[in-house]
Amino acid sequence: MLKPKHFFLLPALLTLAAIILFPLVFTVRVSFSSWDVYQAGLDFIGGRNYARLFEDTRFWESLLRLSGMSLITVTLQYVLGFALALAVWKKMRGGRIFRVLFLVPMMTTPVVMSVIWRTVFHESLGPANDLLSMVGIGPVPWLSSAAGAFISVVIVEVWQWTPFMFLLLLAGLVSLPREPYLAAAIDGASPARTFWQVTFPLMAPISIGAIIIRLIEASKIMDTVYVMTSGGPGTATETPSYYIYIRGLRDFQVGYSAALSLAYLVLMIITLTIIAKVLMRFLVGKET
Amino acid sequence: MGRTYHIIKYLCLLVWTAFVVFPFLWALSTSFKDANAVTSGARYLPWVEFEPSVQGWTSLFASGSQGINIVTPFLNSASVTLLASIVSLGLGTLAAYGLSRYSYKVGFVKNSDITFFFISQRIMPPIVLAIPFFLMLKEIQALDTIFGLVIVYVALLLPIAVWVMTDFFASIPKELDEMAMIDGCTPIGAFFRVVLPNSTAGLVVAGMFCLIFGWNDFFFAFILTFTETQLLPVAIVSLNSSVTPWWSLSAFALISVTPLALIAIVVERFMSRGSLAGAFR
Amino acid sequence: MLSLKNISTTHRKRPLCNLSAELESGKIYTILGRTGAGKTELLRIVMGLDDIADGHLELDGQNLADRPVRLRQMSMVYQQFINYPHLTVVQNVAFPLRRQGFSRADAHDRAMAALALVGLAGFEHRMPPELSGGQQQRVAIARAIVKKARILLMDEPLANLDYKLREKLREEFPRLLAENADGIILYSTTEPAEAMQLGHEMIVMHEGCILAMGAPADIFENPATVEVAKLVSDPPVSICHGEIANGQLMLAGTALPEGAGLVLKGDGPIQVGIRPDALSIGGDMPAKVVLAEFSGSDTIVHLSLEFGAAVMLLEGIHEFKTDQSIQVSLDTSTLLLFSAEGKNITERRSNG
Repeated sequence: MLKPKHFFLLPALLTLAAIILFPLVFTVRVSFSSWDVYQAGLDFIGGRNYARLFEDTRFWESLLRLSGMSLITVTLQYVLGFALALAVWKKMRGGRIFRVLFLVPMMTTPVVMSVIWRTVFHESLGPANDLLSMVGIGPVPWLSSAAGAFISVVIVEVWQWTPFMFLLLLAGLVSLPREPYLAAAIDGASPARTFWQVTFPLMAPISIGAIIIRLIEASKIMDTVYVMTSGGPGTATETPSYYIYIRGLRDFQVGYSAALSLAYLVLMIITLTIIAKVLMRFLVGKET
Repeated sequence: MGRTYHIIKYLCLLVWTAFVVFPFLWALSTSFKDANAVTSGARYLPWVEFEPSVQGWTSLFASGSQGINIVTPFLNSASVTLLASIVSLGLGTLAAYGLSRYSYKVGFVKNSDITFFFISQRIMPPIVLAIPFFLMLKEIQALDTIFGLVIVYVALLLPIAVWVMTDFFASIPKELDEMAMIDGCTPIGAFFRVVLPNSTAGLVVAGMFCLIFGWNDFFFAFILTFTETQLLPVAIVSLNSSVTPWWSLSAFALISVTPLALIAIVVERFMSRGSLAGAFR
Repeated sequence: MLSLKNISTTHRKRPLCNLSAELESGKIYTILGRTGAGKTELLRIVMGLDDIADGHLELDGQNLADRPVRLRQMSMVYQQFINYPHLTVVQNVAFPLRRQGFSRADAHDRAMAALALVGLAGFEHRMPPELSGGQQQRVAIARAIVKKARILLMDEPLANLDYKLREKLREEFPRLLAENADGIILYSTTEPAEAMQLGHEMIVMHEGCILAMGAPADIFENPATVEVAKLVSDPPVSICHGEIANGQLMLAGTALPEGAGLVLKGDGPIQVGIRPDALSIGGDMPAKVVLAEFSGSDTIVHLSLEFGAAVMLLEGIHEFKTDQSIQVSLDTSTLLLFSAEGKNITERRSNG
């Protein structure tokens, strides 16, 4: 007889392990092979793929680009999401409509919206340049210049995922205790002071959670880039996910792309762990 | 400062609202355009700036070489998302309950490690698993099938279900299930008769997140299906790369994002009640 | 008969040490102890909710160790008002009956009867969260007694109620518990008065151990140790250090007048227990008021005396100022004497 404690846990655990473990182990094995379009199969070439990726500047550049992109988008999402959450936190006229509307973008499919955004950023037919021309700016080469493409992707990411920050932070605000605010009110603290001394510290744990979750998701950016810019122009918006996709599923260098993806995974875990620890110490003042 | 502050606040909120709804309005407007209205530069208002046409919408349901079939991808997306969400929610809820009520120990692996194993799957970039998934599904002849996608999506959604439900069960006093056992339930009976009926809030939140992340995934659907089991995001991307007119693309996009956008209303209600907070600590 | 034989646990918060007791059917046992004394832990191991590390738990000679919770024929009332939020009041009470195999109609009738008994007739279709705290606890009590369990456990059932409700429900308990008259009832509480009033027998617990067990009056009159003396009285017995010298009881160097029948043997340091009602106003002992508080129609005065701190219980309302100097007298006839290690060594000459 299956014990209750196993009845509860095992189905999910075994299912996930069955689905995840094979691919993971397989990837590790493949990363030591020369599997490519000319010869499929598991030979063993030692760490040659890993040696190659150290020389691969395109990979390292994509990582650097991703760091910049994540940092910018997540910072913007956090600041904007927090500001919006604070604005609609208290009861106000039309509050519900604002809250519902602000949530909508995160519910929409990134690639589908990217298709729309592509038309928005179209240089001659899209509304972005049309509206800017009204105030005398432009035309901006949105998708055909390196900087423009980068900014377009950032705008879309901010549009899509600020709602997620907004959701988490507003959920956090709603469940804050009342007492510290009473105390602050009795002390006659100004709104700004109340924010920095009460709200912000109380929100620190949930802020860290939200930032980490967004960093994790941002580090996987791929859908938006694929549809909007295909990594271009040139490699101006290429992220590691997209680069590995090209190596693995376009050029069919399966062995090499496995090595790339594992390196990418390990680097991500290390970086995110460090960021989490730093944030913890910085915002909460204690170690994890 | 009260009044100016309020005016500024509403102005900022309106600016952001405009930013949020702009792509939808633009798509809505575009979906009623024809070739003329699109190629003559950005036009916004139907009747005023261009003569509306419904061909963008009719083309989605028209048959033949002219038509773009949206019905099949829509049903495919719905089946995969619903099936994977139900399986994930079922398995995830059981596991989360187990993790919140029993202590497991295998060697040095404890509850927190098991929870981390589940949740850490969200860190995994899809690309790492893409090729092995491809080969695995090929091996069991599940490439380009709903079944194959459901398997993969369960791996994607299970962590979300476990994560939300673990936090939710932590908020249900364990005395409640103990009481049920004292009153004659088996541990499993206590879960189904007493804990589950009191878990609707958690199940709704977890279910919504499963639906959102399932419906919106593109990458796995893109790699693991070709023509037989096309999902909405893949369908629209393949239209995008061909010479599909903007009006059809826009109508297609609006149809595929609307069902989920409506979920925002439900999410807002839970968020305002404060019942989401527990899920994110 | 429920027997605990040398039961120990390794519970993180409060391990239980070597508990032994024999509990008979048809009796109410009250467990008295402060918060954290291990009362809840004791009830939980009887229930089967926590594991026993060492020792035996037997019901009518049968080992309970491997019997799952649901088959232990027990019922429990928690300190928190635990009801099933998704069921109506009557469904709540019928729940255990349905699990025991009663038909729907039968379970409903019995549940209605139990609700009438706890004074909730007319509330059967409400949901528990809509009720007041006292009413919620009544639902829980109805659900516990309707089962006619072999063992009924109550874990500080009144602790979360306000004073008035507590008094009212406590008065009803003997009547309600009569429903379970054939069972063994274990009732834990932090209040000495409650424990003595309700219990046929009282179990005094402290830091995970059973310090004393027996008739409440016996334990009150003749507490085995200093700890027990402190626990069974509210306000507590004051403990002061003194000594016996030349057959006289000395407190702070002053010999007390020959007490009514206390046997004073062997010289050396001892501990003296002063019951709160042994002190009274007027006399030749100087004292300083540290704090005076009213409790119902009594006044509790914390005093600082030459030989230490002590509590005085006065009937009626008396006003004192803090630091006020007063004169008190000590009735030596109810003094308790303990050895330096804390064992009761009080002996009274029979008939003075």
